[in-house]
Amino acid sequence: MRGPRGTVERLDQPSAYFNRNKRRRLEKENRDGDNNDDANAHNDQPEEDPLKNATTLYVGNLSFYTTEEQVYELFSKCGEIKRLIMGLDRFQKTPCGFCFVEYYTHQDALDCMKYIGGTKLDERIIRTDLDPGFTEGRQYGRGKSGGQVRDEYREDYDEGRGGLGRALQLARERERENRQYNDDDYGRLK
Amino acid sequence: MADYDRRGGSSYNPRKRRYRDDDDHDRRGPPPAYGRRRFDGPPPHVRVRKQLIAIAENPMRSWHDEVTHIANLFTDNWDDELLRGNFVDLVLQLAVEQPLKTPFTAAVVLVANAAKPQVVDMLLAKLSSRIEEKIGAGEWRDVKLYLKLLACLQGCLEGEGVFPVLEELFARAVDLQTASSEDTIGTEIVKIILLTLPYVMVAAPGKWDQKAAELMDKTDIIASEPHQSQTLVDPYHPDPGDENPPQSQSLIGLLQTQLQHEANNGWTLSCLPRPWEFPLSEVEQRAKLEDAPKHALPPIKVPETVVTGPRPLFPEVYFSVYANQEVESVPPLSSAASSLIRDALVDTINVLDYNRNVTARHLIDLDCYFAPRTFAARATPFDKLRDIEPPKSTWKPEDVAVDAVFSQLFQLPAPEHKLVYYHSVLTEACKLAPAAIAPSLGRAIRYLYRNSPRMDLELAHRFLDWFTHHLSNFGFTWKWTEWVDDVYLPDVHPRKAFILGALDKEIRLSFAQRIKNTVPEPYRELISEEKEKDQPDFKFANDDTPFAAEGREIAALLKRKAPDEEINAVIQRIQSQAIDRDLDALVASTDVFVTCVLHIGSKTLSHVLAAIERTKDRLADAGAASDAARTQIITATMTYWSAHPGVALKIIEKLLNYSILTPETVIQWALTGLSGRTQGEALAAAHVYEMVFNTVVKVTGRVRQLASRPPSTAGDTDDAETREREVSAMRALFSAIQGALEAWESGKDVDMADGDGNGDAETRETVKRWAERWLRVFRRRATVEEAFLVEAKKERARRKEREEEEARKKAEAGDGDAEVVDAPAAAA
Repeated sequence: MRGPRGTVERLDQPSAYFNRNKRRRLEKENRDGDNNDDANAHNDQPEEDPLKNATTLYVGNLSFYTTEEQVYELFSKCGEIKRLIMGLDRFQKTPCGFCFVEYYTHQDALDCMKYIGGTKLDERIIRTDLDPGFTEGRQYGRGKSGGQVRDEYREDYDEGRGGLGRALQLARERERENRQYNDDDYGRLK
Repeated sequence: MADYDRRGGSSYNPRKRRYRDDDDHDRRGPPPAYGRRRFDGPPPHVRVRKQLIAIAENPMRSWHDEVTHIANLFTDNWDDELLRGNFVDLVLQLAVEQPLKTPFTAAVVLVANAAKPQVVDMLLAKLSSRIEEKIGAGEWRDVKLYLKLLACLQGCLEGEGVFPVLEELFARAVDLQTASSEDTIGTEIVKIILLTLPYVMVAAPGKWDQKAAELMDKTDIIASEPHQSQTLVDPYHPDPGDENPPQSQSLIGLLQTQLQHEANNGWTLSCLPRPWEFPLSEVEQRAKLEDAPKHALPPIKVPETVVTGPRPLFPEVYFSVYANQEVESVPPLSSAASSLIRDALVDTINVLDYNRNVTARHLIDLDCYFAPRTFAARATPFDKLRDIEPPKSTWKPEDVAVDAVFSQLFQLPAPEHKLVYYHSVLTEACKLAPAAIAPSLGRAIRYLYRNSPRMDLELAHRFLDWFTHHLSNFGFTWKWTEWVDDVYLPDVHPRKAFILGALDKEIRLSFAQRIKNTVPEPYRELISEEKEKDQPDFKFANDDTPFAAEGREIAALLKRKAPDEEINAVIQRIQSQAIDRDLDALVASTDVFVTCVLHIGSKTLSHVLAAIERTKDRLADAGAASDAARTQIITATMTYWSAHPGVALKIIEKLLNYSILTPETVIQWALTGLSGRTQGEALAAAHVYEMVFNTVVKVTGRVRQLASRPPSTAGDTDDAETREREVSAMRALFSAIQGALEAWESGKDVDMADGDGNGDAETRETVKRWAERWLRVFRRRATVEEAFLVEAKKERARRKEREEEEARKKAEAGDGDAEVVDAPAAAA
């Protein structure tokens, strides 16, 4: 599509995340197909790339406290923003650390991948990924407790993203309730 | 206890690793077998590719070893067809993708030439057709980069090698320059010739001095004459009263003098690498290179008419943030090294915009790609440069790298890529080598801060934008204490205006409390309490505000999404009260309504956008009712969000999209309304400039889009009509801006305002100076847009010609399917 393979890797490629899901879809198709050769022949056909003209980016690793205005301020450096959708906790409807940024042109989205992805916003390194486009419902976290899945079992303490993983927090709370210890006993251990 | 536990846990890991190691040994057997495994690694074409791409990157390997090794690996596997084909393509690709490596890949080709001369013929065939193709398309940078490769191969070319091509190109430049003094293609061609020449001279030393002198005699007339539009792109715009104004030099004028100097000194060109020159000890290799066959360069045709190409061409000016230091930390203007190193770095930066990490890597490693001893050791502190004994270089590689990025960031009228790209390169470079780069940036910032008042205003704002964005990537740390005296200057002073603008932009990327904690005490006064509030105060909450009750009522109605009639009733009430109080009824009701819309949407931008979406009809009606009412929409927005002008600007941008506001309203509000109320001091406020600038960019962007759009099938006339309408609207906007600013520049408005006894002579002078700087920016933008329209018109004509040509061909082919013609044309 872009001619011969370059001597330097491009930063405006979709991440492994999207490709992995695509591969899974293809693999599933392969498994479903009776004849393996048939399935391969199917793969060789140029499939319409859903990201070919993508104008939307998924933006991850935001702090829960980062505001829309901050996102606007940074992402406008790559072009006018058509629409911004903040990712929300499914239950509390509060920001949960991701968003979708939609530009007017594909080029602006690619430039954003190249120039903004991997830089800091609100003092956190953010991640950008080309996205086929926002659909209703995707603004909500898909984790068990309402946030993003990655914030369920996260073992590091991340102040910008609600501390420990939420599932871990819950487990600890339960543990604490079950044991009849006084909090003061734990104070020494810090 | 917890610590102990953790330690216990971690001790498990090493044991596990040891266990695995044992396991590996069992599986792989003793070391010799391991060695063999490595030996039959990847096939030759993969190894050659990998090594060629990484050539010269490792400072620990000698160039000669590396070059010979790759060349031998290639020629030893000559029978590998995959390798043979790929090699030539890869050399060509590297020339345009990683320009710093060109001399080294050329050296590989030269060494390979001794064993397999065919490879050079294969390369030259492709190279010459590429050059021809790129000249035809007006892709001048690629032309330059391919010519550089060709120049490095001069030693193995028959006859005069590159010279005939350069001469032919020069002939075109002369034609163009004689035809028009405004021509920029000729200037670009001369620049390319002058930048190619040094590589020829180091590739075949001592043989071409005469030829070079002849060529340079000819280029002199074009290169030495300052281009007509050079002042347009001058980064400095000093006050007429400036006693020591910075002298900007044109890039090609500089090059011409520098090369003349080189010619007088036998073309030492000591900064350029010569990886094809083997040390005297390697007698055999030297003899082989000496005896290697020479090759004829296939003819390169230069078309009669050459084109500008995809990027508009402007004369270029040499820019450095490290000029006039007590110790030379970058090559001086008198040395050709300044132009040659800068050129290679700028190409690298602009070519590799798709991977800023690699760009930054190349910049950090730049001493790997130039002759040894060109630079001082990496990360030498500036203070230590003084101790370096004379023949040794004091050029700091970090300064040279940073300077190259800034030359692009401060390129007028516009750099090749979005400004944020250059921000990101500096960020990455700073991340890769903080100890080396950060102090260089610090010195650059000090230079720019000191000089920003005499810089072009657009560039001063680019500096502001970069500075704040950069700090946001590095914890907002800056030695603010050194500028503390400027805090007490009046707001209209350019340096104070910079500080105010910087604090506001930092807060936009972060939040007020955070930024307050990063600055020394005196600056905190500049961050008002209002900035720390989550939401601005609702003025109608205070009963002393006129129409307070009505304001609260409308806000409540909007909140519960009440039907229009209910809101109408309140608006009517406001209007009749306004008439009683001798106020403009429309202005009064618009102010209340807009303020209420902003208030119910004050939580986030999404909220306010939703609120505007719901009320857009009423807002549009209000705006359409009178100029005063339309202006009031902006006033209400800027007043409500006065603590956060960034938010206000974004809202205004959306209101422009809805056509609730017009670009003229914005201009009028900023340059006449607000500026009038502040005796012109508003011209110093960064956000006012930003507002006008963004509006202009929006309008010109739309015009550009229309001008370069391929004609729709619906019909050319519709397109042409829309285009003409938008173009004349744009021109009207520019003249409105210029009209308003000229009034400030002449000082008329200030004098009028002065009637009340406000403002002193000094402030008046400062305001005039601001107006002058504004004017220059928007006059330039107007000129640049006109130039764009001219080129776009030519391009449309060419496209039409091509289409007709194809249609004729199709018709001649006689298949009768001439209707399908515009499919390929549209893709072209």
